[in-house]
Amino acid sequence: MNLVGHLGCFVVVAEELHFGRAAERLGMAQPPLSQRIQRLERELGVRLFDRSSRRVELTVPGRLLLDEARDILSRVDRLSSLAERARLGETGTLRAGLPPDLGGSVVAALIAAFRDRRPGLRLDLREIGTADQVRALADGTLDVGVLRHPCDARDLAFGPMLTQRVGVLLPAAEEPPAHLHLSDLAGHDLVAAPRDEAPEIHDDLLATCRRHGYDPPAVHEARHPQFALGLVLAGTAVALLPQAEAPGAVWRPLLGDPLTWRVSCAWRQDAGGDDVEAFTATATAVLRDEAGMTPLAPPPARRVALRPASGFLA
Amino acid sequence: MRHIERVFRDAGVTGHLYALDLDTGRDLGVRGDDPVVLASVFKVPLLVAFHRRAAAGLLDPTERVTLSPEERAPGPTGIATMLDTVTLSLRDLTNLMITVSDNTAADAVFARVGLDAVNTAMADLGLSHTHLTGNGGELHDTLLADADVPDLGELWARLDEPGMLSRLRALDPSRTTRSTPREMARLLAMIWRDEAAPPEACAEMRRLMGLQVWPHRLSSGFPYDDVRVSGKTGTLPTLRNEIGVVEYPDGGRYAVAVFTRSFQPLAVLPEADAAIGTTARLAIEALRTLT
Repeated sequence: MNLVGHLGCFVVVAEELHFGRAAERLGMAQPPLSQRIQRLERELGVRLFDRSSRRVELTVPGRLLLDEARDILSRVDRLSSLAERARLGETGTLRAGLPPDLGGSVVAALIAAFRDRRPGLRLDLREIGTADQVRALADGTLDVGVLRHPCDARDLAFGPMLTQRVGVLLPAAEEPPAHLHLSDLAGHDLVAAPRDEAPEIHDDLLATCRRHGYDPPAVHEARHPQFALGLVLAGTAVALLPQAEAPGAVWRPLLGDPLTWRVSCAWRQDAGGDDVEAFTATATAVLRDEAGMTPLAPPPARRVALRPASGFLA
Repeated sequence: MRHIERVFRDAGVTGHLYALDLDTGRDLGVRGDDPVVLASVFKVPLLVAFHRRAAAGLLDPTERVTLSPEERAPGPTGIATMLDTVTLSLRDLTNLMITVSDNTAADAVFARVGLDAVNTAMADLGLSHTHLTGNGGELHDTLLADADVPDLGELWARLDEPGMLSRLRALDPSRTTRSTPREMARLLAMIWRDEAAPPEACAEMRRLMGLQVWPHRLSSGFPYDDVRVSGKTGTLPTLRNEIGVVEYPDGGRYAVAVFTRSFQPLAVLPEADAAIGTTARLAIEALRTLT
């Protein structure tokens, strides 16, 4: 029996809970699909689906086996992708993700520094947001990434944590003072990276703005830094981002640094190695020297004023 | 202010609000001097009067009080819902009346303090628009009498009958226990500045208000781990109130009092509860950014 193929059928039926729709998704007829599921049930010695009623439902053993089946399938995918890379002679390549707004000079410095450290290894860089990096690391299409925190950290290992001070980009024509408070931005729209690139960071940004007296009337999402700059120059919005130089606009730090971003390299816990380590060391040094990031000081003790509704066993 | 009005309107309520910076005296009000129905917020003036009488040696906070099932003021929480005789100290009764708004506990405390002592305490503190007309049990009885119903369940069921709401004295600030948002915020300010009673009594009052369990009103407006929210709610048909103090890690302290009345006679109206927190936050953020 082709166990992997049968498990694939099982997962699709479990997702659709409908043999007709599952067969359609798999591009096969319904009778052979039913036969495969029955074959798999015989092989495993348990019923996977409850078909007694008019609905198809997962049995308790079916639910138990579903996660395992998905895990096996994703490992098989990784196996094929590794085989594919080996066939194409790409094993000498490190696939690394960088955030889209890192800046050209930082990317160039990173490539140069990595070339010095690992001359024989090809670096395949991709411009990719935090949420997509987490997904790509999980499914094995990325070896290492530079991402922002907080993010979904399950199964990931992280390099040294760096912080990046966030300030505001305004039109130079407004002649803003040297330092601004977040509340000075009241009334301006905000332009920020799309929420789906890093939902936790986006929500955190808006909560911090609101807490410091800046509740933007509208939030515009800009995937590309140049688009964000366009909105700033047009006087439509202000952008909150790390120090940046842009013609016609000025960057100003925020009083009290209410916003900082935490950045680190990340890789899958079970897929580290010398190459990943070399990239992490190089990227961490370049981000510190070229992108003005600083090693994260031990965080100040977080004050938590517990309320009864979130108290012990409440 | 327009923003606050819009939140009230979107939640389907008319709102009264007053917010006060405890340290600078800066303030902000939206109809903050209108008379409002206190509902269970009356337990805060009662708590203050309790501690003032204890300080004067007129009652013993550790006196043990036994409450049998027959002498239970009706209510949805605490001793009011229990089946058997309980014995608690007077000060632990104040704990239940503040933390879960227990009506039986409140009326037992009320019986020891007395209506006149509460009104005198408020007058002595300069709160001339704050006036109690009776205890929780009496409030319950006037509701049933005015509505001509046997129990609160039927009152809710018939609340949308024409004329019903205006017949209920308990919902009319001129005929029931009342105050203004400004005076309730001032009372909290006196508790937080140790002026309402001796300092250790004020500390105990602050402790109890910090232990209040409800997360849905004032507390919901401040989703920040490092911000302390203490308060006391008040609820009657169509009325949802909370007064409290919000303390920021930078030392900023703000008393806020929000009183709402919903257009719809619905018992469950989460957006009206949340509007109390949202408007309080808007008011406090306005006070914080004026610096």
